[in-house]
Amino acid sequence: MILPFLIIIPLLGAFSMPIISLLGEKARSTWAVLVSSLTLGVASKVFYDVWSTKQLMVYTLGDTTPLGNGVGFPIRILWEVDLFGGLLALIVAFIGLMAIIYSTEYIKHDTGLEKYYTLILILELGMLGIVITGDMFNFYVFLEIMSIASYALVAFRNDTWEGIEAGIKYMFVGSLASSFILLGIALLYGQYGTLTMSYLAVKIAQNPTLVSKVALGFLIGGLLFKSGAVPVHMWLSDAHPAAPSSISAMLSGLVIKVGGVYALARIAFSIYATSISIKTVGWIIIFFGCVTLIVGNAMAVIQTDMKRLFAFSSVGQMGYILLGIGIGLASYGTKVGDIALAGAIYHTINHALMKALLFLVAGAVLHQVGTKNLNELSGLAKKMPLTSFAFLIGAAAIVGLPPLNGFASKWLIYESSALYNPFLAAMAVLGTAFCTAAYIRVLFTFFGRPSEVVENAEEPGKAMIIPMLVLIFAIILMGLFPWQISDKVMLPTADMLKDQVHYIVAVMGGA
Amino acid sequence: MFGYWDTLYFLYVLAIGMIIAYLLFKWAEKSSMGTRKTGDGTKIFLSGEDEDNVIPQFEHLRGYYTGRHTMWGLIRGIHRMFLIFKREHTGLLTDYVAYLLITTAIILGALVIWG
Repeated sequence: MILPFLIIIPLLGAFSMPIISLLGEKARSTWAVLVSSLTLGVASKVFYDVWSTKQLMVYTLGDTTPLGNGVGFPIRILWEVDLFGGLLALIVAFIGLMAIIYSTEYIKHDTGLEKYYTLILILELGMLGIVITGDMFNFYVFLEIMSIASYALVAFRNDTWEGIEAGIKYMFVGSLASSFILLGIALLYGQYGTLTMSYLAVKIAQNPTLVSKVALGFLIGGLLFKSGAVPVHMWLSDAHPAAPSSISAMLSGLVIKVGGVYALARIAFSIYATSISIKTVGWIIIFFGCVTLIVGNAMAVIQTDMKRLFAFSSVGQMGYILLGIGIGLASYGTKVGDIALAGAIYHTINHALMKALLFLVAGAVLHQVGTKNLNELSGLAKKMPLTSFAFLIGAAAIVGLPPLNGFASKWLIYESSALYNPFLAAMAVLGTAFCTAAYIRVLFTFFGRPSEVVENAEEPGKAMIIPMLVLIFAIILMGLFPWQISDKVMLPTADMLKDQVHYIVAVMGGA
Repeated sequence: MFGYWDTLYFLYVLAIGMIIAYLLFKWAEKSSMGTRKTGDGTKIFLSGEDEDNVIPQFEHLRGYYTGRHTMWGLIRGIHRMFLIFKREHTGLLTDYVAYLLITTAIILGALVIWG
């Protein structure tokens, strides 16, 4: 079984980092790249196995079966990977590798880099843990591993107050959100006496009590915070710009998705889908999704700081994903619901690629020019053509311009929302209008008349260019085969996610 | 075929549309500097400058708010919305906590009532 190596490899890599660092700078960065490459290999294998067999992968810690001796219910911690988990593990490992390669040049003049690489591997490990676990408390532990690594990484550059302030704010409010999640889990454990997700699903379906609803309320509240939904998005617009750009790419591209919408979808579909009014849950998420996509994109329009603009744009894009998941829940079991859910999953992957690329571009600009203020960056395209091209591709993809990948996923979300409720589609299109306005402004800045600040700018080194080129390639490739990807990967992923019976039987199997 | 429910739906959409249009109109009137209310026997001004200028083909609009000021009002209104957005949030931790608590309370309420 290859699954445990998804955790073992980054864990070993992270904790051996201080020792490897003694061998020198080169060894440290090589070790980080090697560890994350191996993790990507394992993640690819896990995804391929689940995708080709269409069977859930179940792994029990310390035993061969999750069920206790002589009893018919699971008592052990278990990991359970479906296609959604596998897909996210793949994208986490991929973006993680890109961010680490980029860091080898981007951050090489900073001090305390052994801590940096340790934390970035722990961040990756936390996210991988969340997407493979099938146990509520185990989920919480990985969520905290991920969150604590992000708090520290946001405040990594502690020579300015920006990072420290953002890190502290993020930590305080993030901890409160985490405690809501923990409270939700504690309520479920108190009521049903189990933490295994699939067994919880059975128990709640047998006896859906008020406590289970209250627990769900706390879980949704905490997870909406972690996904950066409006009105609990304020931390995001401070934390993501303050972090080093390679970390911003991981925070905006991955953390808000894995710790937010993935967990939300997992809990709603795999645990609660058949036991409470799923339509209500769907409409709650649709409501927050609509507010998020309007406010996030509108706020992006007025930013003058490039990284802050990208951070608000992330808030806006999370709105689309929440909208897709909400419609998927509200019209559970219909064709429209399937399309919406597939669109949300597709957009999760696409946005991870696009936003990682955009933050790497912002990092390259900041690294070479020394400012991220859009008013000073006029005419950058003449001095940094490759970086500007990368921005052009990222921006066109996020706006949803065909034939890039953003078009396909946004189209699925528009289509399903128009079929479900035309008002929602109108909101989604309005959000995209704001999004377009925001990115066109940056585009005009880049391609305008060169200012004094950018006069001496030049392209960054290879280690920063290569990850950007790889991401551009991935975006174009995914944009060229949108319907094949949708039919072969996204729709089966959506089917598997909402197939609660399959999720339960995979664990309870013989019982 | 066009049925009973379609008619009702049409009326429902029309009513909501009228309410939205009225609110938008009031908002534009409030946001605009130049919109004037014209009474009996007064002319419609194309702009504030030339009082004798009637909008060609729009003479029948006498007695209503009109003119390009309404459009300016809308534009100014949208601009004002962005100005409000631009006033950056204070970033007080207590505010952040309050938003989180309110959000969770709304979700809890909705789930307990309709869940």
